[in-house]
Amino acid sequence: MTEHILPVGKGGASGAVNDFLKGLLSSGKVKAVLALQTTPNGRSAFPVLVSDPDKMRSDVFTPLMPVSTATILSRITKTRGSDDPIAAIMRNCELRALTELFKLKQADPANLVLIGVDCPGTFDLNTYSNFPGDKDISSAVLDPKEREKFLRSACRSCADPIPGRADIVIGTFGMDLEKGILVSGKTEAGQALLEGMGLDAFKDDGSREKAVSEVREAADRSREKHIAEHSDIKGSGKIADFFESCINCHNCMKACPICYCKECLFDSAVFNMEAHKYVSKAGSKGSFKTPTDTLLFHITRFNHMILSCVQCGLCEQACPANIPLMDIIIPIAQNAQKEFEYIPGRDLEDQLPMIFYKEEEFESVGDH
Amino acid sequence: MSDFEPVVVAFLCNWCSYAGADLAGTSRLKYPPNVRSIRVMCSGRVDPVFVLDALKEGIDGVLVAGCHPGDCHYQSGNYKTNRKMKLIQRLLKDLNMDPRRVRFDYISASEGQKFADVVTEFVQTLKELGPNPLKGECQ
Repeated sequence: MTEHILPVGKGGASGAVNDFLKGLLSSGKVKAVLALQTTPNGRSAFPVLVSDPDKMRSDVFTPLMPVSTATILSRITKTRGSDDPIAAIMRNCELRALTELFKLKQADPANLVLIGVDCPGTFDLNTYSNFPGDKDISSAVLDPKEREKFLRSACRSCADPIPGRADIVIGTFGMDLEKGILVSGKTEAGQALLEGMGLDAFKDDGSREKAVSEVREAADRSREKHIAEHSDIKGSGKIADFFESCINCHNCMKACPICYCKECLFDSAVFNMEAHKYVSKAGSKGSFKTPTDTLLFHITRFNHMILSCVQCGLCEQACPANIPLMDIIIPIAQNAQKEFEYIPGRDLEDQLPMIFYKEEEFESVGDH
Repeated sequence: MSDFEPVVVAFLCNWCSYAGADLAGTSRLKYPPNVRSIRVMCSGRVDPVFVLDALKEGIDGVLVAGCHPGDCHYQSGNYKTNRKMKLIQRLLKDLNMDPRRVRFDYISASEGQKFADVVTEFVQTLKELGPNPLKGECQ
């Protein structure tokens, strides 16, 4: 691992990262950069694939995640992996989701250089686009207390805001952002990119490490609090209540980086029946709520994605009925992943729990 | 609840458990008639959505049975099914539906007695649990 300091100038932290990415592009070491960029009117921000250094206008610290960059990279590399190096700037939940997509063969790691950034959390899309005019969004992001008020619930209970599986990590926690940002090359590919960029070496005074452990502890605390606060949503009746306002739009599934099926079972005609069957069902139960199968959809979706769930909360953000999905997804994901001793997105070598098995685990037959 | 007769759907693998159930019948073993058997080519064919759909429709218990470890006609279907059923049980636990409503077991073609025992035991458990709370709900 090599650690360097990225000098911060007039453009602030995000300007410094933008210059760094521009440098990568002009040096020819990467052919394109996928980075978050605010839209012209400033109401939103999306990952933009840039190949011309002059058009590099990234703002990687924008507190917004309208889509997962993992989903975008899956779209870009699924048909065929990239022939030219592409650098992608990602938050840790996006990196973890991408690792799961690699395992699921939904993205190709060839020639991808993954650059992780420390993430202080993101705002809900509507909070961001309707941010009160009298408040400055960039100062709200930098001030931890102010930021807390606007964070999405998934971000408040984030499992790990510090990038894990990345080639390069851009660190802001514990750094004096007026002076410099930490850039560390974690892999050979990452180190090769940083070579010859004329960056000063990072002098470790322990403050980075301290800040990182503080951020992690705070996240753990807020996670536990979140789980304790929502421990009452249990029981079949309450689960039905929880999803009662679901309009069956499947937006949660479309926003989810893990739900990758080309055609979801629930978008197919599998559950369609002839009219007389609906009528007879209504007859046998007395009444029959439509749209049908909303509860079955959610439980089956959990069954499909929960072991790989990185708890990015994009499902909750996409819900037009404002169902607080993270209230149940966080505890369910945590319990299921613990049972299978699986941490999604940690390592490409960790096998997906549903595709492998150990023969010795079947010694105790029927023991559940 | 003594007059409550649970409805059980049993997914039985073609090579072992279905033959085991057949043996129970030809051997004239007694077991509760609450089971509706569905033959599948392998327990690995049992998509978790089958189990969840059955529970949602108000079925009281779902039994999935496959070959013993190492005996699967398709090498590994039974191993994978065990994992899938474990995940369903974990989800049911978190949604506070009783995980005992889903049961996975290994029943070979020669184990007619085991089939009868498993069904008897399962029906007894379900009688203690009472009817599926989703029965009669219109989800």
